Amino acid sequence: MYGWIWRHLPGNAWVRAVISLVLVLGVVFVLFQYVFPWAEPLLPFNDVTVDEGSGATP
Amino acid sequence: MSRAASPPQNRSVLAGFLSLLGEFLITVGLVLGLFVAYSLWWTNVLADRQAQARGNEVRQQWQTAPGANGSAAPGALDTMDGIGFLHVPAMKNGEVLVKKGTAPDVLDDGVAGYYTDPVKAALPWEASGNFSLAAHRDGHGAKFHNIDKVKNGDAVVFETRDTWYVYKVFAELRQTSKYNVDVISAVPKESGRTAPGRFITLTTCTPVYTSKFRYVVWGELVRTEKVDAQRTLPAELR
Repeated sequence: MYGWIWRHLPGNAWVRAVISLVLVLGVVFVLFQYVFPWAEPLLPFNDVTVDEGSGATP
Repeated sequence: MSRAASPPQNRSVLAGFLSLLGEFLITVGLVLGLFVAYSLWWTNVLADRQAQARGNEVRQQWQTAPGANGSAAPGALDTMDGIGFLHVPAMKNGEVLVKKGTAPDVLDDGVAGYYTDPVKAALPWEASGNFSLAAHRDGHGAKFHNIDKVKNGDAVVFETRDTWYVYKVFAELRQTSKYNVDVISAVPKESGRTAPGRFITLTTCTPVYTSKFRYVVWGELVRTEKVDAQRTLPAELR
């Protein structure tokens, strides 16, 4: 997968390295900005309140 | 076995599949690592920024609206912006803005929220009841991260525009079920108190980095102090 991406990037090794870095940063941005905020409430790591259970907001 | 005899294409298909699987697993590992960084670091950055801004707004509002002086002043506050600041010297985390509600979108801004559900909190200026609060243990400001450092006898001070409410911690419950809503009732029996009083309850999750159980600390109002023009801190915070 990564090898395939590398082979399909244009330019010489340096240009490819820079493009790869930009791609990685883009992926990290999308994860932090959209994916993780969406996923976090679905995971049971951060409920701090007491409640009457099933389905109630934490 | 017969692998040496198999045609080269089969081997390269298998090798290709395995390398794809390997890359996929590495990717999953990296994403999970990033998620940990997000949960424990980035949400704190965002929440502290939010809490700082909202806190400044509340203080601004307190300064610019001195017209509503008199005994009714605390009630006149807009509860959506925050009703005041919680100071727990034992937690060493400065001041924590307190807002209404304990929904994730409230608490995720690095504030403590007072319960409206399942048991409605009594606000500090009410004659009796339980001022029950919740905040994050980790991530999103982690305002109650050091709740385990709070011991009996420690001071918990709540600051509103015109009054310091000084509470003293008298009981803690280091681990309880997340369904134990009795801990935030008006007279929390498990704290040992049986008669109505003016209590404060801090709740968060425990053990750290999980949400398996709840950690509860109870305090009782010992005195109130009028805020003076310089906002001189009460003795407990000096």
